[in-house]
Amino acid sequence: MEKNTISVILPIRTGKTGFFEDYLDKAITSLKSQKEQFNEIIIVHTNETFLTNHLQSYDFGELNVKFEEWTKEPNFSSQVNHGVRVATSEWVTIFEFDDEFSNIWVKNFKEYANIYPNTDAFLPIVVDVDDKGVFVGFTNEATFAANFSSEMGILTNETLLSYQNFQVSGLAIKKESFVNYGMLKPTFKLTFGYEFLLRMTHNSVRFMTIPKIGYKHTNLREGSIFWNYKNGDDVLGEDEVRFWIDSAKKEYMFINQREINYEPQEV
Amino acid sequence: MNQEQISKLEKSIQNMKDKSSRIYFLVQDTKGNARASVRYIYQMALTLKNNGFNSIILHEKPEYFGVSSWLDEEYMKLPHNAIEGTNLAISPEDIIVIPEIYGFVMDQISNLPCGKVVLCQAYDHIFETLNPGDTWTKLGFYKCITTSDRQKEIIESMMRGLSVDVVSPFISEVFEKQKFPPKTIISVHSRDQRETVNMIKAFYAKFPQYRWITFRDMRGLSELEFANAMKESFCSVWLDSTSAFGTYPLESFKMGIPVIGLVPNLQPEWMNENNGIWINNQNMFVDVVADFIQNWLEDNISPVVFEEMEKTISEFSDKSKFELDVVNLFNNMINTRLTSFEEQLSKFETIE
Repeated sequence: MEKNTISVILPIRTGKTGFFEDYLDKAITSLKSQKEQFNEIIIVHTNETFLTNHLQSYDFGELNVKFEEWTKEPNFSSQVNHGVRVATSEWVTIFEFDDEFSNIWVKNFKEYANIYPNTDAFLPIVVDVDDKGVFVGFTNEATFAANFSSEMGILTNETLLSYQNFQVSGLAIKKESFVNYGMLKPTFKLTFGYEFLLRMTHNSVRFMTIPKIGYKHTNLREGSIFWNYKNGDDVLGEDEVRFWIDSAKKEYMFINQREINYEPQEV
Repeated sequence: MNQEQISKLEKSIQNMKDKSSRIYFLVQDTKGNARASVRYIYQMALTLKNNGFNSIILHEKPEYFGVSSWLDEEYMKLPHNAIEGTNLAISPEDIIVIPEIYGFVMDQISNLPCGKVVLCQAYDHIFETLNPGDTWTKLGFYKCITTSDRQKEIIESMMRGLSVDVVSPFISEVFEKQKFPPKTIISVHSRDQRETVNMIKAFYAKFPQYRWITFRDMRGLSELEFANAMKESFCSVWLDSTSAFGTYPLESFKMGIPVIGLVPNLQPEWMNENNGIWINNQNMFVDVVADFIQNWLEDNISPVVFEEMEKTISEFSDKSKFELDVVNLFNNMINTRLTSFEEQLSKFETIE
């Protein structure tokens, strides 16, 4: 496997969501405009007709795109895990169709991966925007905050246990670490990313934030997973939110997924 | 002229010829705090020592903190003498170099028959400790060393009849290029610590989204600590309106760190529109810092800035040029005095 090659894993559940074409176009344009290119783009999509047709007719230009049809129950984590399994690069990165990479991300990732060969995962500084594109805040930046992490820029398990605002989308991680330590756990709701980061750091996977803007994330887009947890068909109450946070803090000790089902905690 | 005086004159001439005549450098006790102006004096004294001259560091009180905590230990190996409580041996062939801030010392030693030189690194201190109406030449100081042509112009306009030489400082080799990518740290240097604190508070108040950017006050660090701390920074902030030379931004340049600075009242000769982000309006300072951060996070800093920094610093990185300038300057001073002493001697010998 060639050193510091990187595959993008793009899971898509449906194209029937507001402004899908616009979002996807911006996302793919952000891949095309990289100063150094990703090695492959793996789109793990459901067999929804509209989505499949749109993807087949879309002009991906020079990008090395591979389509993986997902025929099982749509699930963000399962689709990502499948994409990672078939990826042929040393590194993988998770991408959402309503997000964008900054055009400097691959260049900076490769620079840092060369300089810090013992680091297994690189987080970008994420710019969070609302569905109107208005700046909301940064994510992953906290590793640089004073007195936050024992080593500036490094995300540790201890830090994660006291602060959760880190995200896996845009993260570049060695495929080997991702697979060896159990991938994303599809049964987890809401905190699957948090549990993943806890588990990886618990298993000594070294995470570093690259202090450069690498990713733009659209927060709570109507129809997105987290929007659904808050406003849609799959609303989570406060008690369930707490349950999934607590579960993440317990389950990260286990590499393999275990059956987790929410049961009301409040008496 | 009696024989004794002739012997003294001969002895003085001999001392100058074999470089055993003393060159005293008065320094301020910084109590362990790094100060570029004091480092410059030590560098000058050490250069002379290494070239066979008899340079001696002079300090006011016997309890002198020294510079080993922030400068290299080798500088403390220079001979040191206190003014207070010791019988300072000063002969006519000796030279005493006094920083501009010590106007009262100049006054006290104005009648000494030795060579007297002012070392002026901060033009704004020139009159601070002089009595009203006094000038250096009135106190017997006809030679001056300064750090830039621009300061030389100012000094010459204030002190008539003074001969001014320029010896540009060099930026030490401990300020080397960053080997690793910088962290989200901004190094800050201001003359007055309150300026640093106020700037940081104003910045966080106006740009709370950047609370994760760390500001590091660069005061009170040894030269090596200073260089190591600076190495982690992606930007340097310089707030010193009365700076006369600008060592701090040049140290940043040498490490490849862009500088956001307030243009000092005396604009340094090395400063141009491309080698840094130079601001005149202090009220705009935090906005410019925020703008720079955003650009840095997006890799949008113009490569021209880095190229220009490199060009600028190349003029101040040559230690051997500094050493040559220092040695030539003092050689000339001593040779001029030597010629004068020899002329005096020959007159006496003719008379006799």
